[in-house]
Amino acid sequence: MTRFLLRRTGQALIVAWGAISLVFVIVRVVPGDPAALILGPDASPAQTASVRADFGLDRPLAQQYVTHLGEVVRGDFGDSWRLGGSAMANTLDRYPATLTLAVLALVLTLAVGFPLGMACARRAGGVLDACVSALSLVGQALPSFWVGIVLILLFARGLNWLPSTAGSGLASAVLPAVTLAVPFVGWLARLVRNGALEEGGREYVRTARAKGTGEGVLQYVHVGRNIAVPVVTVLGLLLGNFVANAVIVEVVFSWPGIGSLMVDAITNRDYAVVEAAIVTITVTYIVLNLLVDALYFALDPRLTPENA
Amino acid sequence: MRTRPVSALARREFLALAGLGASGVLLGACGTGSGAAPEGALRAAFGQPVTDLDPYKANTAVDEATLIVKRLVFDTLVRREGEKLAPGLARSWERTSPTTWVFHLRPGVRFHDGSRLTARDVVACLKRTKSVESAQTPLWEPVVSATADDAHTVTFTTSVPLGALPVNLTLLFIVPARLAADPAQSRSPVGSGPFRVAGFTPSTTVELERNDSYWGGRARLPAVSLPFVAETSSAITALRNGDLDLLWPIPPDQLAEVEGAGGVRVETVPSWTYYFSWFNCSRKPFGDPAVRRAMWQAVDVAGLVRELFGAGAERMTAPIPSTVLGHRAQQPYAYDPAAARRALRDAGFPRGFRTSLMWFDATGPLARELAQAMISAWSEVGVEVEPQSIEKAQWLERLNTLDWDMNLQTNTVTTGDAGFSVGRLYTSKANRLGYANPALDAVLAKADRAADEDERSRLYGDACKTLWDDAVGIFPATLVTAYGLRRGLTGFTPAANNQPELADVARR
Repeated sequence: MTRFLLRRTGQALIVAWGAISLVFVIVRVVPGDPAALILGPDASPAQTASVRADFGLDRPLAQQYVTHLGEVVRGDFGDSWRLGGSAMANTLDRYPATLTLAVLALVLTLAVGFPLGMACARRAGGVLDACVSALSLVGQALPSFWVGIVLILLFARGLNWLPSTAGSGLASAVLPAVTLAVPFVGWLARLVRNGALEEGGREYVRTARAKGTGEGVLQYVHVGRNIAVPVVTVLGLLLGNFVANAVIVEVVFSWPGIGSLMVDAITNRDYAVVEAAIVTITVTYIVLNLLVDALYFALDPRLTPENA
Repeated sequence: MRTRPVSALARREFLALAGLGASGVLLGACGTGSGAAPEGALRAAFGQPVTDLDPYKANTAVDEATLIVKRLVFDTLVRREGEKLAPGLARSWERTSPTTWVFHLRPGVRFHDGSRLTARDVVACLKRTKSVESAQTPLWEPVVSATADDAHTVTFTTSVPLGALPVNLTLLFIVPARLAADPAQSRSPVGSGPFRVAGFTPSTTVELERNDSYWGGRARLPAVSLPFVAETSSAITALRNGDLDLLWPIPPDQLAEVEGAGGVRVETVPSWTYYFSWFNCSRKPFGDPAVRRAMWQAVDVAGLVRELFGAGAERMTAPIPSTVLGHRAQQPYAYDPAAARRALRDAGFPRGFRTSLMWFDATGPLARELAQAMISAWSEVGVEVEPQSIEKAQWLERLNTLDWDMNLQTNTVTTGDAGFSVGRLYTSKANRLGYANPALDAVLAKADRAADEDERSRLYGDACKTLWDDAVGIFPATLVTAYGLRRGLTGFTPAANNQPELADVARR
C-alpha cells in the first residue's frame, strides 16, 4: 500500500511540474506586458523598464524559469502586482468559495443522477430511460455560460426566487451549482443505469429477490454497493472537474472563487496569480485522484494495490 | 483468513469517517461562501473591480473604481462639488507668488485611528506620491516641495507657475504620515473620510462603515457595501430584484431593461468619459491633415451616435466633454461622403487606401459596434479598414509603441480639467499619436501655468480649436452615465466623474 501511494505521489509530482512549466511558458508567450498594464498609457520607457526589472521580467526566460521553480518548491509564487500581497495567499482566500460550489454541485449531481439512473434501470427501454438518455446528451452539449445566463433570466429575473450574484449566503450558490451540475446529472444517471443493469443479472440479485427483498432495498443496498467503485471514480473526477469548470460559471455569477480570480489575473497579466491558481487547481485534481485510488481499497476489499 | 474481519471492520469505519469528513467539508464550505452585507447598508455596484486601496499604488492612481472608494475613505485638501472646486481639508488657500501656494488646514480633524491630522501628514503624502511612478506623475512633477509652516499651514512650491495645482490636489489623498508607505494600506487603509474600511476582498467586495466623528458631519447611512458584479446582466437582475440599491454605469443598450422595471429609477449625467478614434499622424497617409479631415467627413457621426447610443451618449463638439473646464464648442464636421472622396483624390488617393483600426472591447459600451459602423462608413469612400479587436494588454503595448494606424478608445478626464487630457496627451513631448505642433505646445504650456480659471479656460479652448481643425482624431461621443437606483433612495446626485457622493445618500 505504501509503495503504491509513493508511486502515485511520484506520478503526481511529475504532473504538477508539467503544469507549472506549461503555465510559465504560456503566460509569457501571450503578448502584453504587465509593466504597461501597471503604469497605463502615460508611462515613459524608463518607467516601464524599471517596473520590468522589479518583477524580474528583464532577465532571460531560462533564468526566470529556474528562479521560478526554486520559489514554487518553497511554495512562493511571488506577489500579485494587481491585488498586493502573496499570490498564493490571494488564491487560497478564494479557495473555499470555489470548493463550496464544487461540493454543492457534486451533492446535486449525486442526489438527482443516482436515483434517476436507478429508476431508468428498473424500466430499461421505457419512456423515462429514453428521455434521460436524450436529455443527458443535450445537457452535455449546452455551454455552461449559456446555461448560467438562462438560469439567471428564469429564476432570478423572471421569477425572483434566487439571487443572481454572490452575497446572499447559500441561496446565491444554488444557481451556479445547478449550472455546474447540469451537464453531469444525465451522464451520472446513464452510468448508474448501465451499472445497475449489469449487476441486475447477477445471482445475488436473483437470490435476494427470491428471499423477498423489496426492490428499493435491492437497488440501493445490494446493487448500489456493488456499483460503488465506478460511481466513486466518476464522482472524484467530477469534483476536480467542478473546481476547474468553475472558471466560466464564477464569472457569470460573480462568484468570488478561484475561477473569477484567474480570469481577472489573465486579462491583467498578473502572472503570479495565474500560476498560483492553476497550480492550486492542478493539485486539487491530483489529490482527489489519489483519494479516489485510496477509496477503491476501502470500497472493494478484493482489490489490492497489486491487482488494482 | 485471520485478517478478513478486521479489514472489513476497518473498511466500514473508513467509509463512515470518509462520509463524515465529506459532510464536514460541505458544512465548512457553506459557512465561508456567504458574505452578506450588514443590515441597513447601501449596496452599490460599479462596473469595474476595486483591486487595491493604497492611495499611492501606481496601477490604481487614476482607476475609477478605486477612486470611488478612496473618496469615501480619505480626504483631500480640495474637493470637487459639481463643476466647482470647494474646500476640503483645506479651509482656504491663496497664491502668494506665481510659484507658491499656501493652504490653511481645517483644525481638529482626526484620522480613523484617532490620531490628529496635521500639515506634516500632507507633506509626507506629497513626498510619497512624488516617489511613486504612476499615471499621476505628470501632475506632481512640477511641484518641487511642500513644507509645514505650522500644524495647520502648508506651503507648496512649484518649479513653474502651476495653475492646475488646486485641481490636482483633488487627487492627493491624505493618510497619516507614518502610514504613507505602509503596505497594510492596500487592504485596511487609515484615512479621515466619512467611512472607514470594515472589510475588503480585492476584485470582489468592499465593506465600509460610517465614521461617526467625521468633521463634515455623519454620513446618512451606517454602512456602504460595494460588491463587484462582473456580468452586466447579473448586475441588472440584482438591481431589479432589490439585491442592489445602486448600479452604474448602465450600458446604453441595457437602459430599457432597467427603466421598465418596477422599483427602479434612472438618473443620468453627461460624464467626463468620451470616445475618440485617433489617427497615427506619424504614419502614412495620416500625416496629411486633409486625409484625416476626409476620414471624419466620411462618417455620419451624428446619426451613428443617435442610432447606437440613443440617450446613452452625446455628440461631442470638442476634443473633450462639454462639462470639462476648457471646453469650447467647435463647428461639427458635416457628413459628406462625396466631399470626402474628392478630398482623398486630391490628396493622391483616388482609389482610397488600406489601413487598420485597433481597439479592445472593454474600453467602453458598444465599442465593437462603434468600430464596425465607422469601418463600414469608410469603406463607402474606398478606404478599406482592417478591424483589429485585441485584448487590453496587447492593445496597451501597441498603443505605447505607436504600433497602430487608427486607435479607438475611451478616456476619462479624471480631474474634470482640460489639463488632464488635452494638456497631457497632445504635447509633442508626450508623442502619443505621432502629432507634433510647436504652436499648440506653447498654448498648452501657457495654460498649464495660468492660475486664473478664465485664462486657463480660454487657452484650453484655443487648444480645442487647433486639435479639432487639425482632426488629430475623430471625437464622436461623450458617454452619458446612467445610474440605476431603487426608488427608496434619497439624496443621490449623479456624478460626471462616476464618483457619486455616497455619504449623502439615505433610504426613505
